[in-house]
Amino acid sequence: MMPKLQIMAALVVVALARGMAQAQESLTVPQAAAAGQEISLQASGSGNGTLYLIGPAQVIKREVQLSQPIRIKGEEVRSAGRWTAILRADGRSSAQTFFVDPGPVENLSFLARPSRVPVARPSAISGIVFVFDKYQNLVLQPTPVKFSLSVEGTGASQAVTSRYGVAWISSSSARKAGAAQFVAAADDVSVRRVVQQVASDPCNLRMHVAGHSQNGITVETDPIRDCTGNPVPDGTIVTFIQTDSNGRSTVDARIKKGVARADLPSSNNATISVASGVVLGNELHVGGGQ
Amino acid sequence: MRPLISTFTLTLTLLLAVAVVAVFDRARADARPAVVVKTDHAIPHEVDDTVQQAVTRDYASAWQAMAVALANNNPSALNDNFVGFALDKLTQRVKDQQHAGLKMRMTDRGHKVDAIFYSPEGSSIELHDTATLDTEILEGDTVIHTERAQVHYYAVMTGAEDRWKVRVLESGRD
Repeated sequence: MMPKLQIMAALVVVALARGMAQAQESLTVPQAAAAGQEISLQASGSGNGTLYLIGPAQVIKREVQLSQPIRIKGEEVRSAGRWTAILRADGRSSAQTFFVDPGPVENLSFLARPSRVPVARPSAISGIVFVFDKYQNLVLQPTPVKFSLSVEGTGASQAVTSRYGVAWISSSSARKAGAAQFVAAADDVSVRRVVQQVASDPCNLRMHVAGHSQNGITVETDPIRDCTGNPVPDGTIVTFIQTDSNGRSTVDARIKKGVARADLPSSNNATISVASGVVLGNELHVGGGQ
Repeated sequence: MRPLISTFTLTLTLLLAVAVVAVFDRARADARPAVVVKTDHAIPHEVDDTVQQAVTRDYASAWQAMAVALANNNPSALNDNFVGFALDKLTQRVKDQQHAGLKMRMTDRGHKVDAIFYSPEGSSIELHDTATLDTEILEGDTVIHTERAQVHYYAVMTGAEDRWKVRVLESGRD
């Protein structure tokens, strides 16, 4: 009878001692920490142990003296997110988790689309910013981001607050052609992109007879502009079509110095039309007394 | 009288059952995790079904690759599914693990994912993931820590040549 009681008592004592030892080696982790800032952990107990800090992008292993504060330098704690601290001593582990928040804004990843856009198009330009700290951690806290879009000093700006690290706007293109400066800024950080705003489709496309020769007729457009007055870029194709009793003649001409010209075969009675893209211009009737 | 089932048969059956469970568990750890992606709250652009399916498939592949990389300390497993900051960080993590003589075995219990941002031109998507993970940290062959945790992740994926790749993966408080 007695030996059984003695064994049971011994087991209880061992269990209690083990529990106390485990309690003695508890680990205290920081309640708040930011990437790049020093942190301090506290391991209670006596003797030595090994501390493992397992972060999203880092693993730190360190021999530590229990009961002494354990300081981890800021440059060692670079990755934001969930960290696990494991203290290993006497073959046993105790562990705690803690969070490292991202640091202040240091980098903006700015995507501006498209790189080339016609003027006066509603919601044609999008700007997306991903907000990062110095260590490429996505800054999840709401952050004010200012977007501005301007051509030759005139333009508009819009302020938005990032949500889970991303801020975006959709903007109409300006009425003026040119290289638009698209800037995103947060805190002291700004990033610039250039969006080339080009003239839109021609507006009021008109042509006239510019001359006659023995073999044909020369037609020329008036200076070609879009509906907001921007000259349509040189190189844009303008199509002239002549229709008469012999059939149809088509000439594709590129705009040069703001106008397009074409030489068409002579005809006694023809209709000439002009078009650029989906835009139709005026018609001319030549021959038959004209 | 002889028993209907001999001790030998019983032992053999139990061993077989244990082996089957172990193999099944191992296969589940190596398999693509269960990922459910909801896109109802994605702004400013609606996510179409094709993109939703592709993101679901590729995000699951990324977690599978990460589990392999961390279990074997092999960063090359990450290259097909991660890019940019996420690739840099996970590669560093694997190298640090290796340097410290550690490995992490992860059993992925699944991901409930909400798409919270889909860019207007469709090139990037941000996900909020609630992941349930069982992890074991090993030093050599000794397990020094085990835990089951529900962790919130924010992931940014961008369209690459033939798949979506994880560009940012960051755990957060919620």
